[in-house]
Amino acid sequence: MSARRGRRAVIAGVATSDYPHLPHLSEHAVHGQAADRALADAGLTFADVDGLATTGFFPMYATGVAEYLGLHPIYLDETNTGGSSFEVLVEHAAYAVEAGAVDVVLVTYGSVQLSQMGRRLGTGGGGGGFAPGPAIYDALWGNTLVGNYALAARRHMHEFGTTPEQLAAVAVSMRRHAAHNPQAQEREPITVDDVVSSRLVADPLHKLDCCVISDGGAACIVTTEERAADLPRAPVYVLGAAHATTHHLNMSAMPSLTLTPAAQSGPAAFARAGITPQDVDVAQLYDSFTITVVLTVEDLGFCAKGEGGAFVEDGGLELGGRLPTNTDGGGLSACHPGMRGMFLIVEAVRQLRGEGGATQVPNAAIAVAHGTGGMLSTGATLVLGKEAP
Amino acid sequence: MTERWFPDEMPMPAASAETMGWWEAAAEHRLVVQRCAQCGTTRHPPGPLCPHCRSSASQWRQLPGTGRVYTFTVVRQAFIPSLSDRLPYVVAAVELDDSAGARLVSNLVDVDPAEVTLDMAVEVVWEDMGPELALPRFRPAPATTQGRGR
Repeated sequence: MSARRGRRAVIAGVATSDYPHLPHLSEHAVHGQAADRALADAGLTFADVDGLATTGFFPMYATGVAEYLGLHPIYLDETNTGGSSFEVLVEHAAYAVEAGAVDVVLVTYGSVQLSQMGRRLGTGGGGGGFAPGPAIYDALWGNTLVGNYALAARRHMHEFGTTPEQLAAVAVSMRRHAAHNPQAQEREPITVDDVVSSRLVADPLHKLDCCVISDGGAACIVTTEERAADLPRAPVYVLGAAHATTHHLNMSAMPSLTLTPAAQSGPAAFARAGITPQDVDVAQLYDSFTITVVLTVEDLGFCAKGEGGAFVEDGGLELGGRLPTNTDGGGLSACHPGMRGMFLIVEAVRQLRGEGGATQVPNAAIAVAHGTGGMLSTGATLVLGKEAP
Repeated sequence: MTERWFPDEMPMPAASAETMGWWEAAAEHRLVVQRCAQCGTTRHPPGPLCPHCRSSASQWRQLPGTGRVYTFTVVRQAFIPSLSDRLPYVVAAVELDDSAGARLVSNLVDVDPAEVTLDMAVEVVWEDMGPELALPRFRPAPATTQGRGR
């Protein structure tokens, strides 16, 4: 990001695993498939990897993946900020390669959440198993993960007049992109009316305001500009990154339900990259729920606070719109295995390499991947560029 | 209350050093909020340090038990199977009167979900779960307490 010439951090390879339904694969096998393909894309092998970054839902997760992949890395990172983890892991990997601590970091994600859970709605449960401490204050009332995001959606509607139809427009746009992605879990076109007439899961969020639940994985290779010079793919530069948090998992502790950590991470990442929101050609924004995207476009500064609803209406997130977003169909339609952040990075890189296919944004030079984790608890912004800074 | 509002297999609170006083007050049907003894800032959930001045000295401020709906949702699909026959139910974040803005996530009871609105005045109603535990839920406040000062 601000390294001396030669050691600038770049992404030299990306891949997704097969998705969205992998009943024949273990979670580790999904990691293996994504890692193998990302290394092949970068023109590297496992023998070149000296750093590993990954995270999952139990401690010492990265060491488990290292063992499975037969790696003995000198750099390990399993920072877990929920769905935004992989933006943070790439940020850390960029610092590490620029500092000279490591040369090739494999960042990998794998999940078989769909096959394990056997259900297709929302992203998880709400009760049971809570440790003592503040989180219990939100755990006693039968609320769900969808319900927590619904609390934010309802407040946004109250403060800014956002409508269910505006939220629905996010899902409609993602589905339009997914139609061009042969791997996407849901590809049939939908309308605003389809979304608002789908059943309510937690008012005001309907079934089609919620992401799909999928199996799948993805990976990328972070290395230096110097190393990438000998590799087959055009490098994608990590121009800037930052992350932030407002609270843990309890909405009672979130200072404002309509202001997310993106309001901190976005400006910091843009400043480090030396860009403004107007410079961004294509965005990959975490879309666990439709409200997540409306909050994110506001907090990253793509529009003023409260204008997110109007921003996403009428194809604002589509090709040719104000901010082409989630060109693979997003978590709402393509794939959401639990922590989708790695997919955002892969699609951002593909856009900058001109590999977006039917949803390629012409001449895309600067892309943003923004992950959101927990209950709107964490945000991590990654600014990627086609050209060296 | 003869029948529990939620089934018994719901998670139950395990009090920590910081939250014990809150639960002890709750068992006596007193709704309190933690207040910094040094700078007066209130905080919820209870915690070891004031987020404003970092003092570890705190007191429990007794609240009137009224508040307003800051936001809410109507849960229509339960992820705990035993809650399925309680659907739909209302989960709300209640901004507590006299608490300087502290919010408590809880349920709204004794109300038609379709009648709930933001800023609706509510009051606490306690459910005794045992000799040492009571849970605060909220119901619409009678008109006489509407507009009570914060």
